[in-house]
Amino acid sequence: MNLILKLAWRNIWRNKRRSALTMAAISFAVMAAVSMRGLQIGTYELNIDNSVSIYSGYIQIQHPDYYASPSLRHSFNPDKKLISYINTNPHIIAFSRRINADGLISSGENTFGAMLTGIQPDAELKVTTMLDKVNDGEIFIRPDTYDILVGYKLLQNLKVRIGDEIIILAQGLDGSMGNDRFRITGTIKTGAEEFDAYGVLVGIETLQEMLYMHNRVTALTIRLDDVNNLNIVSDELKPAAGLNSVLTWGNLMPELRDAIALDNISGILFLLILFLIVAFGIINTILMSVIERFNEFGVNLAIGMPHYKLVLVVFAETILITITALAIGNILGFAINYYIVLNPIQFSGDIANLYLEYGFLPEMRSSLQISMFIQTSVITLIISLLSAIYPCVKLYKLEPLKGIRYT
Amino acid sequence: MEIIRSENLDKIYKDNGVPVQALKNINLTVKKGDHMVIAGPSGSGKTTLLNLLGALDKPTSGKIFFEGEDISKKTVKELSGLRLNKLGFIFQAYNLIPVLSAIENIEFSLMLQGKPEALRRKLSLNALRDLGIEELANKRPNEMSGGQQQRVAVARAIVNDPSVVLADEPTANLDTATGSNLLDLMDEMNRSKNITFLFSSHDPQVIERARILIRLRDGQIESVQTK
Amino acid sequence: MTKNLLINLAWRNIWRNKRRSAVVLSSIIVGVAAIISMDGLTNGMTYQRLFNQINLGTSHIQIHKTGYTDNRLVKNFIQGELQLKADILRLPGVKAVSERVVTFGLVSSAESSAGIYVYGVDHKAEKRVSAVSGLIKEGNYLSGAEREVVVGYELANKLNAGLGNKIILMANDPSGKIHSDVFRISGLFESFSSGFDKSYIFVNSNDLQNMLSLGNSYHELAIIVAEPSLAESLKGEIRSAVGSDFEVKTYRDILPILVMQIDLSRESMWIVNMIIGIALVFGIINVMLMTVIERIREFGVLMAIGLSTGKLFSLILLEALIIGLSGTIIGLVITGLIHIPFSYTGIDFSWFSEGLVSLGVGAVIYPVISYQTVLLTIIMTPMIAVAGAIYPAIKAIRLQPVAAIRHY
Repeated sequence: MNLILKLAWRNIWRNKRRSALTMAAISFAVMAAVSMRGLQIGTYELNIDNSVSIYSGYIQIQHPDYYASPSLRHSFNPDKKLISYINTNPHIIAFSRRINADGLISSGENTFGAMLTGIQPDAELKVTTMLDKVNDGEIFIRPDTYDILVGYKLLQNLKVRIGDEIIILAQGLDGSMGNDRFRITGTIKTGAEEFDAYGVLVGIETLQEMLYMHNRVTALTIRLDDVNNLNIVSDELKPAAGLNSVLTWGNLMPELRDAIALDNISGILFLLILFLIVAFGIINTILMSVIERFNEFGVNLAIGMPHYKLVLVVFAETILITITALAIGNILGFAINYYIVLNPIQFSGDIANLYLEYGFLPEMRSSLQISMFIQTSVITLIISLLSAIYPCVKLYKLEPLKGIRYT
Repeated sequence: MEIIRSENLDKIYKDNGVPVQALKNINLTVKKGDHMVIAGPSGSGKTTLLNLLGALDKPTSGKIFFEGEDISKKTVKELSGLRLNKLGFIFQAYNLIPVLSAIENIEFSLMLQGKPEALRRKLSLNALRDLGIEELANKRPNEMSGGQQQRVAVARAIVNDPSVVLADEPTANLDTATGSNLLDLMDEMNRSKNITFLFSSHDPQVIERARILIRLRDGQIESVQTK
Repeated sequence: MTKNLLINLAWRNIWRNKRRSAVVLSSIIVGVAAIISMDGLTNGMTYQRLFNQINLGTSHIQIHKTGYTDNRLVKNFIQGELQLKADILRLPGVKAVSERVVTFGLVSSAESSAGIYVYGVDHKAEKRVSAVSGLIKEGNYLSGAEREVVVGYELANKLNAGLGNKIILMANDPSGKIHSDVFRISGLFESFSSGFDKSYIFVNSNDLQNMLSLGNSYHELAIIVAEPSLAESLKGEIRSAVGSDFEVKTYRDILPILVMQIDLSRESMWIVNMIIGIALVFGIINVMLMTVIERIREFGVLMAIGLSTGKLFSLILLEALIIGLSGTIIGLVITGLIHIPFSYTGIDFSWFSEGLVSLGVGAVIYPVISYQTVLLTIIMTPMIAVAGAIYPAIKAIRLQPVAAIRHY
């Protein structure tokens, strides 16, 4: 084994330029792959965090049938065990109760559909950033108040002002239509059409009363200490939640999840193609270097070296070159990603404005997730080894005399 | 003791589609301690014959026996083992592995045989000493002259005490003096250690030292002379 | 005269050692195929998102009463008497027009309610403009029967209502008064977008107009044109045809984020192509280098018999150019041959990600090759091949002929 490694190592140095070029090709591909994935993953995380933390939260606990059929009948009363579990889980920072219902909001002259969300203001502040988006007026403080917040476009459409009273109409748990008078104390602006044009934030206790819900809620919203603990926490919550569903942001915001999945695919496609090209380069390089040495290999075989050892030498050469290139490529890629993490790429001008209008952050960030580096390296190594197969097959079949006589 | 024997050996190969009879009805025997030279003009088939006797090539018809065994019945693996343990080869050029030093080149087959390090070192140094090139131990082929490279090749060929050493035009790329020195060394090996040598060459210096001289012409044995 | 000699020599050299040439050729073919396929798939994906949205309801051009987009109030209606639809249909390039009554409302079943958009349409016209009629999974699309409604599966689930069930629709008329009416679910549809399925229901326009005392007014004209690229130019013509009381918007105006994402992805394709190009260069340089070095003896002989260094240089580059061009052409042909059947049948990606289905791309992607990419590839790839041969060629001509011959 030592002999094989020794030969492989020295053979690499024998043709420095060729080895260097091969390494450069692989390093470049690795660096490009890691940077691109970094940008993709980092920006996903950014956008997810941005969207998810406004309203849906990373995890919600719901009645098991609510997701398929989101009606008030599928509300639940969270039991003490669940609450105390949530309070004691070290990864959960805070939680809040929610009620979601659809209704109509009317200023007399103008009536619009409304997406009603009943919240506990103090709890909600700790869980989502919704209440930070108040752009005019004030947040209400008590969960049993008749003060509400509405989306800023809704205020305009209703043709009313902050301080005015409006009527909300909605169907209660018992099926009956209830209505009540509320006062608008402020507006929110999130950039998402559904909130800005239809969103209404109401005190949860008020809404519970109006809809005959007693102590029931349609969801518990949960905030984690770290996004990466998502799966751990949701797994831990499942037994505590019993029959209730534990849903993660992917379920709650499927369009966001799917948009990311789509982008992910194009990213993976790109990587595949990049590696394909590198693989071809490697195959050709190894092939030519093997054929170039047929004379020498022929002699080796003639003096009794078994074929498989010769093949191992070539494999060893490939591995050594690949590992070195991996080290270089990963380090460079890491450096690039690190730089972008510290200095995110900012959009400007029209693009930036458009993004902001719609509630997206106009920037791209990178990521230093280890899994990226590991995945890229493993794939590169596999491709390298696969690329060496064809040349090594040719080598394995080489007859000593043919090698010696080869021109 | 008989080392190699050929019976009715024929070799036909195709040269651009035209069949050429390189060897016809070759019957010869190489015995232990022989110093045999196969000589003849270019195209007479001597390299072909050497390659056949060294199990590098297969005959078109006829048999070859190595130490009594029919080598046509041997598997690729067995032939490889044969070349490692029983045969030594010296070619006209490109004998050595470019990335290994002289002593490493010599140790190479010993390593393949699995001999332990101390033993390998000892045997290799001895071989270098026998050929008078101890000082080249750590030099690489591209740091040596042609003559020196050939000496390393000889050292490698004899270090694992082969049954026979086959040398194909070993002096072809050397000037007269260097070639002569090389041949003297090989003679010495043959005499003092009773190592069997089989040469193929048209170099007069090789021919004049032959103790058994086989002349080939157009693929057939023209004459056999013994000194 | 010497030009021909060189070309002749180059051509024969390439054929003389098929293995060497094949090795370089294969690298180039793979590179070309890779870039073009990648481009095709990405384009396919992004265009599909756009066209799926267009077909679902956005259409190519929408017309509203001026001010409607900012303020989607029921009272911002277009009067039916104006016969806008007929005027527009006369314009060349316009394929179909549908008048839509649009309002936000509350729909309730016994169990639950939901806020939704109601589209009141003429089913015959709407069929030619929107794909919803083809997405009916249970029951039927609108047929003109009284008070029928077509809803999405998601919504039906939420309301816990099914085919044949009755639901109540509540919305306000232009004066602000709330009206309600009972509708029966005659069909259930499922589109790629669960968001759409949850939020849109379709009724016959006269039912909605009656409920909201709208007479024959409506809110939106949805227009489908023959070629998406015609949308911008037709926008101008339509504007002049209908006058300033109305706002005319193309899908680019209505879906700015989507359009922007498409533009962005086209931009990023440049970077992607560049990276792939660089990877290709590395691969080619290495192989070219080895090819040239393998032939150093041959070059030495050529120089020894009198070929000048300049001509040798040209010879090597010429061979690279020929291989580069051939590789590009072969690569394009192969990719084209593969692409053509796929552009009809599409490539099924559903095993790869369910996300694609719900996002508006659909599991089956139809590759779309852009001419810019093809052109770019045709120009750049041979240049890359030649670029890869420059350094090796320089090394070749620096050798002394004798050294070259002795070089084993």
